[in-house]
Amino acid sequence: MNQEASINFSEDEKDILQEIMNIAFGNATADLAEVVDIYVMLSVPNIQVIGIGELPFYLKDTIKDDGESSIVEQKFWGSFKGSGLLVFPSGSGKDLLAFLDDRADYHHEGTAAATLEKGGLLEIGNILIGACVGKVSELLSTFVTYSPPQVLQGKSSDYNYLIEHFDPMQTAIVMKTIFTFKEKDINGFLLILTNHESIDWLRKALHEFMGSYE
Amino acid sequence: MIFSQMFDMLDVGIVILDSDLKVYKWNRWMATHSKLSPEKIVGKSLFDFFPDLNTPWFLRNCKSVFTFGNFAFFSQKLHKYCFPFKAYNTLGSDFEHMQQSCTVGPLRDENSRINYIYLTVQDVTEVAAYEHKLITMNTRDGLTGIFNRRYLEAKLKEEVDRHIRYNRPLSLIMLDIDHFKKINDTHGHQAGDFILKNLATTIDERIRAVDIVARYGGEEFCCLLPETTSESALALAEFLRMGIEAEIYHFKDKSIKITISQGVSDLSDGVDSAEALLKLADDGLYESKRLGRNKVSMITNKTKNP
Amino acid sequence: MINTILIVDDSPVARRMLKTCIPKDKGYEIFEAGNGQEGFEKYKELHPDIVFMDLTMPVMDGYQATAKIKEFDKDAIVIVTTADIQPKSIASVMELGAFTLLKKPAKTESIQEAISKVEIKMKKLQEK
Repeated sequence: MNQEASINFSEDEKDILQEIMNIAFGNATADLAEVVDIYVMLSVPNIQVIGIGELPFYLKDTIKDDGESSIVEQKFWGSFKGSGLLVFPSGSGKDLLAFLDDRADYHHEGTAAATLEKGGLLEIGNILIGACVGKVSELLSTFVTYSPPQVLQGKSSDYNYLIEHFDPMQTAIVMKTIFTFKEKDINGFLLILTNHESIDWLRKALHEFMGSYE
Repeated sequence: MIFSQMFDMLDVGIVILDSDLKVYKWNRWMATHSKLSPEKIVGKSLFDFFPDLNTPWFLRNCKSVFTFGNFAFFSQKLHKYCFPFKAYNTLGSDFEHMQQSCTVGPLRDENSRINYIYLTVQDVTEVAAYEHKLITMNTRDGLTGIFNRRYLEAKLKEEVDRHIRYNRPLSLIMLDIDHFKKINDTHGHQAGDFILKNLATTIDERIRAVDIVARYGGEEFCCLLPETTSESALALAEFLRMGIEAEIYHFKDKSIKITISQGVSDLSDGVDSAEALLKLADDGLYESKRLGRNKVSMITNKTKNP
Repeated sequence: MINTILIVDDSPVARRMLKTCIPKDKGYEIFEAGNGQEGFEKYKELHPDIVFMDLTMPVMDGYQATAKIKEFDKDAIVIVTTADIQPKSIASVMELGAFTLLKKPAKTESIQEAISKVEIKMKKLQEK
């Protein structure tokens, strides 16, 4: 954590955020079992408050992109604003499709296998990101609007835009969780990056949340 | 008042559904395109009228919106359409159904509970038709209408990766019209073009739908054969060779006969890239030419380095 | 009669939240532990009437700690609190002998309801 970030976020606030995330991701895991009939496990999220200037290095380090992984990205906005990034290990697209084994229902003719595979990634990405962001929003008494998810072609230049319009003096909050599709033995990770514009709102929301416990 | 006008004025389909997926609201756009008035459909299950939507993916996504308050996106690329409406104004494309981009999102009550979801339907037929045209222009050979070299090379790389990952057989045939220059010189370039077009059709009719035939160069063609062993590829090449040898092409008042030379390669020990596959097929083709043309040959790494 | 309560959770915020949901006018004495191992040690030392147990914790998780406590004292009352409340997790926790399972975030109503259930159970035991 850099100096700028620690000024913005106290240890206590970080603890509150961590617990809210634990609850949100736990709730998301439970509800996901109802929505998709496969057991998706989300690990306890790891939270980092980092300076925007460090974000590119953090992303490069974390994604460790070998050009083979599939990345689904989705932006969301409202008081709570940012991006969700879902990183699947290389070559898992096909296995994920088997999990959504109702592809035959799509108006399939003339739809290339690659499009179907991409469609499967997008649908899973949309649901997982929506589940996590949705539960966080619910706990913090807000709601967000989502843009359509997109598959990034695994080039680091693709996610550089995430940081381009950030002020390097500002901070971002990164939540990282590992997800596992139990039966399929597929795991990857999910990052939620909150835009610095929502940090002030987030601090206020954290205090309001704890306020109901005092 | 003004807000409710918008509901019917917009050039977008809007449906509001309750948690049992019964129709709560149905706007004018939906009524016009479906020819179902709100009176007819409101209060009824959406699936009574659109049974094709009663699928795991549609239910799963709606459930997700009710549970998490997220959005669901049914893109034209993947789904083509959610509601089977007639297409019109399609820039001369042949879409039978209106191509649609649909979004589902949550609607909350004063206690933030999601009791309803909305579904919007956008007509994207024109965009899809335009995109379709661009893709055709970009991937097809202008003269013969079969795939072009760029498409073949992209597809080849993709298929090689996929077949290696799942350890499946993949073969390639490279073929060339024998003495094509002579045809041009004797009968003129128009006749040459005629032969190229007809040969492309002859090959295209004899391969499976999953196979890809492309014009690779002037009079050179390539067939990419997924899930195909070299034995089957050699058999297909022989079938093509005999078929074309027997064919008589009629251009104006001339009867033209041609033969082809072919090289076959497959993914096997030591062959693990698109480049290697192309190189070996090309070596085979060269060998067929050397042996006197109208032949099928296969060179493997083993024949080269025994 | 319930006199002592032990809260086992690695998050100080979660312990704080749970504490505020426990009625203050009953004079309960509340103890805290930061992981399963520490929770088990404190149980042996204090014999609390109720243990609120988180599941995901470092050092020793809630499943192990619940099993150890129940092994040490088969009458121990362990109420598991977790955000991930699924039929699967409920089944495995109940198998370990937990009294009940509550969904996080802690809500005053559900905590108080659970405490009253424990009181009823204790009364019945005394009457016997």
